[in-house]
Amino acid sequence: MTKAVWSGVITAAAVLLCSTQAMAQQTDTKTVTITATVNAKAKLTVGPAAVSFADADPDVTPVLPASAAVTVDVKSRTTTNGAVTLTVQSGGNLVSGSDSIAIANLTWTAAGTGFAAGTMATTAVSLGGWTGGGTQSGTQSYLLANSWDYKTGTYTATITYTLTAP
Amino acid sequence: MIAPRRLLTALIAWTVVSPAAGAAAQASTATISANVATLAKLTLSRSTAAFPDADPDTMPQVAATGGAITISVKARARPATVVLLTVQASGDLRSGLSVIPATNITWTATGTGFVAGTVSAVSPVTLASWTGSGLRSGTQSLFFRNLWTHPTGTFTVSLVYTLTSP
Repeated sequence: MTKAVWSGVITAAAVLLCSTQAMAQQTDTKTVTITATVNAKAKLTVGPAAVSFADADPDVTPVLPASAAVTVDVKSRTTTNGAVTLTVQSGGNLVSGSDSIAIANLTWTAAGTGFAAGTMATTAVSLGGWTGGGTQSGTQSYLLANSWDYKTGTYTATITYTLTAP
Repeated sequence: MIAPRRLLTALIAWTVVSPAAGAAAQASTATISANVATLAKLTLSRSTAAFPDADPDTMPQVAATGGAITISVKARARPATVVLLTVQASGDLRSGLSVIPATNITWTATGTGFVAGTVSAVSPVTLASWTGSGLRSGTQSLFFRNLWTHPTGTFTVSLVYTLTSP
């Protein structure tokens, strides 16, 4: 009788132990290491590609507005707190044959976050600046000082826009 | 003519194997127990995934090189319980002091029970779930949300896959 009781107790304990193991939640974990490469980029869109100034009486219109504002779209990717810069630079003075108008007579106003007004030069002049990457959009409206001293002609100059994202 | 000795041997053998007439029957039982515990086994085809650099305009979602990760799951669970496979990032993507939120990693999935999702560094996100025991397999394709605002660098993070069999 005693043997039967002990046998039952042992069996019950074994069953309990087994069911505890069976009931326990099991987990398995694995790890995947992710690497993402993000390089610096600079993308600049300027339009229209050409603007013009119509002839006008210097007394009536001392400052000539350009035919259209230039839309400037900037996209840049750089380091955290990296300085993104946008500059303009003229290839030279406004030229018509052997005549010229000093490029400093060309100025601009600007609209848009980070864009700034300025005066054109044959060295790089800041048109915009931002901290960190992202997209920016603004407009640049050119103005040409109108003077009685200018010799007649059709003058041209080429402006180079440079976006830098370090 | 059978030798007396062989006859005696045959008689003894018959006596042993044949049930004795009038002997009491004794029933005996043997208890068979099989311990079937819960189990969880997770296998991933790769332990690394890389996102190459790309132009955000032309590739707003960068796929991981090497293609999809094949996931094999073996689970033994209690009846009517849910076997769960989750993914959680160890943190955000980091490159030195620069940080890109882990939520910029997303995935699509194929296979019964698998679902698409977005990685989180805060809490585990369900990649797949099933009811009860079984072998399952599927694929997970990882993508990196490619933004102009991301800081530059080589970013890393670990994705922890956890299979739970209750």
